[in-house]
Amino acid sequence: MSASVRVSSARKLWAFVRRDFHTEASYRLSFVMQLVQVAFLALLAYFMAQFLRQKGLEAVTPFAQDYFSFVILGLAFYDYQSTAHNTFAHSLLEGQMTGTLETLLVSQTSLETVVLGSSLYGFVSTTMRLVGYLLFGVLLFGMPLAGANWGAALVLLVLSVAAFSAFGVISACFVLLFKKGDPLSWVLLGASGVLGGVLYPVSALPSWLEKLAQLLPLTHSLEGVRRALLAGEGLGELQREAFFLLLFAGVGLPLALVAFRWSVRRAKMTGTLSQY
Amino acid sequence: MPEAVTVENLAKDFPLVKLLGPMGLPLTHAHKRVLSGVSFSVGAGEVFGLLGPNGAGKTTLLKILCTLLEPNQGRAAIFGQDVVQQGAEARRLLGYCPGVERSFYMRLSARENLGFYGTLNNLSAPTLRSRIPLLLADVGLEAAGDQPVRNYSTGMLQRLALARALLHQPRLLVFDEPTRSLDPAGVAWWRDYVRRELAQAQGCTVLLATHNLAEAEEVCDRLAILHRGRLQALGTPREICREAVATSLSEAYSRFTSADTPIASPALR
Repeated sequence: MSASVRVSSARKLWAFVRRDFHTEASYRLSFVMQLVQVAFLALLAYFMAQFLRQKGLEAVTPFAQDYFSFVILGLAFYDYQSTAHNTFAHSLLEGQMTGTLETLLVSQTSLETVVLGSSLYGFVSTTMRLVGYLLFGVLLFGMPLAGANWGAALVLLVLSVAAFSAFGVISACFVLLFKKGDPLSWVLLGASGVLGGVLYPVSALPSWLEKLAQLLPLTHSLEGVRRALLAGEGLGELQREAFFLLLFAGVGLPLALVAFRWSVRRAKMTGTLSQY
Repeated sequence: MPEAVTVENLAKDFPLVKLLGPMGLPLTHAHKRVLSGVSFSVGAGEVFGLLGPNGAGKTTLLKILCTLLEPNQGRAAIFGQDVVQQGAEARRLLGYCPGVERSFYMRLSARENLGFYGTLNNLSAPTLRSRIPLLLADVGLEAAGDQPVRNYSTGMLQRLALARALLHQPRLLVFDEPTRSLDPAGVAWWRDYVRRELAQAQGCTVLLATHNLAEAEEVCDRLAILHRGRLQALGTPREICREAVATSLSEAYSRFTSADTPIASPALR
């Protein structure tokens, strides 16, 4: 009687992306404002770079003597980390508030696919903003990407998203168990903003903070991506950064998924799965 | 052939935080038992109603069957598939209509919503292309299928929820207070659809929770009356009336769910 066949996880993930794209596109103003936000941040980076150049301080940046390129990549990748931290928890909370979470969990789709799918558009949207940052940078502000190693940058981007997502899934566990007040996001996003090398190089920090910064995935992500895009370095030269990101992702993601499964099970026991 | 639904000695507790200490941390914990020793079965093709006042445990029981909650004790199965151990297999066999009408993506159209849920329920693209128009026509939403769901009335949302539950042609349909927000015409349509289309034409098993006695009597083959998490009565409306020595289902219901001294059906003692 059942009309079901086996539908691949990839098709299901695509269905989530389409759902969220159509929803997002229906808020036209918000859609446009995201582009405006990218333009404003690019301008902010440009004027900061100009200021530093006028003061003869551009040497603060380790690559290409170009603060604009340094900071635009810092902002774009901090955006990825924010997305990873917020998108899992946000999509879960939204599902609880609207009642759609239960309808997803009753479907014939695995929990992992539901969690990943619900969050995927956040990353697609952030990638679109990254492309926007790079386009503004290259076309309007002369960002030097001619010698960029795009392959290495792409590998590091994928590893970074996986590493950031581990923490994002753990944030979602907090939403399931405590509903609000996820301390991990606050601490990790705050620490990454201060220590991760977003606006200034990690080498500008006191040595003990510099050591602490090595515990953050964003530090390795930014170091690797900047060197791949601005200095044209390949994966051979970026082994250390790739290794740390792989470590964060390889250890963090399985642990996060185990924690998420446990949290769902706990929420099913306590009856709080759909409460917010 | 296994029963459509089997529930054996099911119990469910929810934790209650009794007292908060410094910084809002819980000092003591207590549990509230919302289901206690509930056992019954539903035959394939039956329309079965769960009756009971608010807080009786109807929704909790449905959510356990839909794998959204786990019991503390006992077991439940859908066509022989244990809802805890074989949750994925059980979900393949059931369609769920929750009590929340807003459980849709409001900025999307009905077609887009059904397409999304159909994909999650393993329906191929060609199947969806043929099935969605049929279902929309079936529930009377053909003309409104391309409208954003946010423009829908409550009745239309209920119909769309029914279409969603039917997408993958489940053998068991679970409804949580399906006519709560419907107008009289909507209620009449829904009752007719359940009896004529789902039960008679398609041979589906239907399990519904309601506190509308007239609806239960009109639509259901058999009923279970829950009160304070315990099963008080089980049988056809006529059997329940006879056991309660009552002249109407309403009178029997009152006797089985009276706040002071609820009586259990002789069949359950």
